[in-house]
Amino acid sequence: MNAGRIRAIVRKEWMDMGKNKGVLWMMALLPVILVAMILGTAYFMERTPASEFDPSTGDEGLSLPVEMVHLDAKTGTIVLMNEQYMFYLLLVPMALPVYIAAYSIIGDKETRSLEPLLATPISTEELLVGKVIAAVTPAVLLAWLSFALTAAGMYIISSPVVFGYLVRPVWTLSMAIHAPLFALLSTSSGVIASSRLNDPRAAQQVTALFVIPVIGLSMAVLLGRIYLDLGLILWAGAAMVLVNVGVLWLAVRLFQRETILTRWK
Amino acid sequence: MIRTENLTKRFGDNVAVDGLTLQVAQGEVFGFLGPNGAGKTTTMRMLSALVAPTSGSAWVNGLQVGADDAAIRASIGLLTEAPGLYPRLDAEQNLGFFAKLHGVQDVAGQVRTYLTLLGLWERRSEPVGGFSKGMQQKLAIARALLHEPPVLFLDEPTSALDPEAARVVRDFIETLREQGRTIFICTHNLDEADRLCDHVAVIKQRLIRVDTPEALRRGLYGQSVLVRLQQVSAQLHALVADLPFVHAVSDTPGGLRVSLDDPDENNPALVHALVGAGAAVQFVEREAHSLEQVYFDLMRESEVAA
Repeated sequence: MNAGRIRAIVRKEWMDMGKNKGVLWMMALLPVILVAMILGTAYFMERTPASEFDPSTGDEGLSLPVEMVHLDAKTGTIVLMNEQYMFYLLLVPMALPVYIAAYSIIGDKETRSLEPLLATPISTEELLVGKVIAAVTPAVLLAWLSFALTAAGMYIISSPVVFGYLVRPVWTLSMAIHAPLFALLSTSSGVIASSRLNDPRAAQQVTALFVIPVIGLSMAVLLGRIYLDLGLILWAGAAMVLVNVGVLWLAVRLFQRETILTRWK
Repeated sequence: MIRTENLTKRFGDNVAVDGLTLQVAQGEVFGFLGPNGAGKTTTMRMLSALVAPTSGSAWVNGLQVGADDAAIRASIGLLTEAPGLYPRLDAEQNLGFFAKLHGVQDVAGQVRTYLTLLGLWERRSEPVGGFSKGMQQKLAIARALLHEPPVLFLDEPTSALDPEAARVVRDFIETLREQGRTIFICTHNLDEADRLCDHVAVIKQRLIRVDTPEALRRGLYGQSVLVRLQQVSAQLHALVADLPFVHAVSDTPGGLRVSLDDPDENNPALVHALVGAGAAVQFVEREAHSLEQVYFDLMRESEVAA
């Protein structure tokens, strides 16, 4: 693979992305809303009297997992709520690249720029690696920035215990490992979908299916069925690596130059 | 420079190109003519190593299609039917991107050279989405030339252009020919093919005929001249018919159509004989058959044969 050609693809995708207001708004909106929602919720919960969280008042509240039973009801509820929101933050690297990748391939189709591009010496692998890097990098950086802003905001508005739970190794590692893997999975599936579909929205809808397992996991945590520990995070990371390898392999195989050139109308 | 042997492409049951055999010499402009769906673009894509042939062989620049695809793509310039530019990027960014993909050493210099050559340097910082069709086409031609390829494939280079822009593009193709590049043009514009091409191939899935435009005319219609006379008579008709180099004579309004061996050589003797017989010759002109007429007659022939 030729690094110069991959760099050229990445640079061109970013230049194009930088001039596409729709993509820029979409990329900015989701992280801003999520961070504001997380910090807003924590802010108002912190200002709610502790008695409101007391199960003896009649409201049973959320059942805390055994690992959190030493926390008082208010702190435990805020921590549990943050655990939910952290899953949503993990959706940032999953949601953004699918939007970028879908437009990146189907955009080439719409502008009919794929044929001149494929007529250069670039290989399919170089083209896809370039497009994947161009989509994954901003999504991961935005996810990390969102996490950093959330942590900083939580440090200011919440108790040290809540902040400690947020930045414990489970979430920092998950952000470090899972965010790039989620972004990669989402991008590769976006490439697959947009290689086969003609409409960017249809491509996005297909790849949105990957959100379901993450939502399922968040529900299991909310209901106290699962407590996230380092072991689970690492196992999930290993499984994600395998899934990514498979999906990436499939993306390269399904991206057939001839089919794309002759069937795209 | 370009050679194909029994080149065939099928898409399922549909035969797009059927047993095409042709040869294009270095430095010539070769026109590829045929109706929509005749297999022109598919052939061009096979020769550009974008689409694999189903059977047969092809060589471009001595490189074999199917075996040396990346090398072929590095040594050709392709102008696709649609310019296929990135509308949000400016002209300089569009060309710079492709120059990098081709591994051009002096990217900025080469981009500047071609933008200047095609009169786009002053507009280099504008998004190309706002360019006219002519400007976009010129930019797409510049893109195909950035890496100085010896072979150029141009698919409908002047379609959808106004006459002025089309002329600029045609003049530029002439300049490229003078540089010794081999140029393979797919076109519907038969007048353009007549003016630009050293050889033309007429295809409809199969190769119908390939030759120089002049040889195609001669092959179909022979060589004939129109002789305009003040007065036509049966005697004059018989006199001309008896000349040894004349194949056929027919009457036309105000004169005779004379089919002969070689107008350049035979016209003086023809005029001499007519004047000697007392005829008042107003003028003699070579009968012109447009390439369009040749094309339609070849198509008709191929349909009858089918």
